[in-house]
Amino acid sequence: MAKVSVEGVSKSYGDVRVVDNVSLTIPQGEFVVLLGPSGCGKTTTLRMIAGFVDPDEGRIQIGDEDVTHMAPRLRNVGMVFQHYALFPNMTVAENIGFGLRQHRVPRAETAARVTELLALIQMPTRGNSPISALSGGQQQRVALARALANSPRVLLMDEPLGALDLKLRETMQEELTRIQRELGVTTILVTHDQHEAMSLADRIVVMAHGRIQQVGTPDDLYMRPHTRFVAEFVGRNNFLSGRLEAAHGGEALVVLNCGASVRVPTRPGLVPGMSVELAVRPQHVMLGAADGITARLEERRFLGNVVHYAVRLPSGDMLLMERPTQAGLPEPGCDVVVSWQEDHAHLFDMQGDALHEA
Amino acid sequence: MRRSSVHWERFLWVALTISLVLLVLPQANFIVLSFHADTGLGQVSDELTLENYVRLFIDPFYLHAFWLTVYLSALSAGSALLLGFPAAYALARIGGWIAPAILGLVLTTSLITIVVKLMGLNIILGPLGMLNNQAGVLIGLVQYTLPLIVVLLFGVVQTIPVALEEAAAILGATRRATFWRVLLPNARPGLVSSGLIAFNMCMGAFTSAVLLGGGRVRTVPVLIQQMIIQDTNYARGAALSTALVAFVFLLNLIVVAMISRSSRHAH
Repeated sequence: MAKVSVEGVSKSYGDVRVVDNVSLTIPQGEFVVLLGPSGCGKTTTLRMIAGFVDPDEGRIQIGDEDVTHMAPRLRNVGMVFQHYALFPNMTVAENIGFGLRQHRVPRAETAARVTELLALIQMPTRGNSPISALSGGQQQRVALARALANSPRVLLMDEPLGALDLKLRETMQEELTRIQRELGVTTILVTHDQHEAMSLADRIVVMAHGRIQQVGTPDDLYMRPHTRFVAEFVGRNNFLSGRLEAAHGGEALVVLNCGASVRVPTRPGLVPGMSVELAVRPQHVMLGAADGITARLEERRFLGNVVHYAVRLPSGDMLLMERPTQAGLPEPGCDVVVSWQEDHAHLFDMQGDALHEA
Repeated sequence: MRRSSVHWERFLWVALTISLVLLVLPQANFIVLSFHADTGLGQVSDELTLENYVRLFIDPFYLHAFWLTVYLSALSAGSALLLGFPAAYALARIGGWIAPAILGLVLTTSLITIVVKLMGLNIILGPLGMLNNQAGVLIGLVQYTLPLIVVLLFGVVQTIPVALEEAAAILGATRRATFWRVLLPNARPGLVSSGLIAFNMCMGAFTSAVLLGGGRVRTVPVLIQQMIIQDTNYARGAALSTALVAFVFLLNLIVVAMISRSSRHAH
């Protein structure tokens, strides 16, 4: 178990800069999730830490050791692959013991360690099963046990739950958290699923276009997105265009395209006149305040515990509104007044950078 | 309720009939011939006899021909596998547009008639002293089967995810250990079946043996031709050919049985 530091790492394929100057320090024992859409460079970053991809620039350290150009087999890191990559020609126990065998661990010790790991993944009796006899969830567990067998300094996981169905994925998320806490192993997991990222991570690293957009705890990202990209990718958000009419201290007055003026908390020193985008989450849109925006409810979608409304503003912009399911919800087709609390709105400039206090 | 499904099996009849007329009937006639004594000039006697087969089993001349055919076929199939596997592996792992382009070239060369290819080999092998002997025939057989082996093994390697090799590497395996413990065991069924196909092709290979062996390397296909065309001993030639087919068929059955047993054992 060790800390991992990535310093100014870049990788290009042809003209495409897949990973662009990524720096990241992960303290020992932390569970970090690299989150982003496909092609954002998260998997390449993970594969550089594993040693399968050689960085063009930058440095990667595990513990105090520089591993930037070290062969994967010498790094002592564990990895769970996207489709598990279990060896079909071996049993469950042989798969788990493979790494120990490569390190010339004595037979008896290997057997004891395999038994211990089978217990950890709650499959104590399946040691002799062939891989083909396992379900997807079981293969997932075996892949995890195999990756942990050598007591790696770091555990890497590449979309490990992507191939499982929803229910099983939730169970495995709890399982992963339990095992990671139990062993205290530094863990880096790659996913494009924001729910998975939020439920697993101590810290999330949001990536886009090869760059880190923001690093933070799940609630940090959700409540204080640094960029428009993070605001859009983590959770849902409505974006409304407008113009910064006046700025004073920590507050700005924004005139939206629909004509309404709203107040938004910002950092000081903004110059009035700039074009901005205002973000407000669907569950923060409220009905019935006196000084809101008059709008029309167009569509209603019932989703169980919540109801989604498509709301048309006077400018023609659409707003998604989420309300808890309860009696007496308004019908589509009627006119309403929508509003939100000032501090629930975030402002971004046209480059997508947040204008609120960092 | 009437089902409106198409009876696709009807379309098999045309091919089946053509095969019956052109292949099965002459072969059946051949097999019948092999159970009669030869009376010279392509004629056979009326009474049934096993004489032709008995001769194959007791005459060292024929036993040696069988041994030589198996030996050359096995050696060339093995060589083709050894030469073809690294190439197929490289092609399967390169990916991009290069692999299909090279595979296309390989396939194209395998479509050139074997006679043309052997004439080319003749020119090269003659001065090297590798003409009209076993070495020449072996080289010809390898050239004959190698393109197909590369294409077949390409498919085999493609079914083995590269992630398996990465998993082995990150668990501490050297390249050598990854090859012996991961790559080879998973490629084995494909290697065996590809090797068997090459072996079968070589067992029946007549052109390479004649053109590069110069009639001095007497494999079974060469003997069959000599027996029928030169000696007009139809009965003996028929027995030889029937024995060859039966032998190859039996060998294939044994190998297939062994593969399926070992894969059942693994489960």
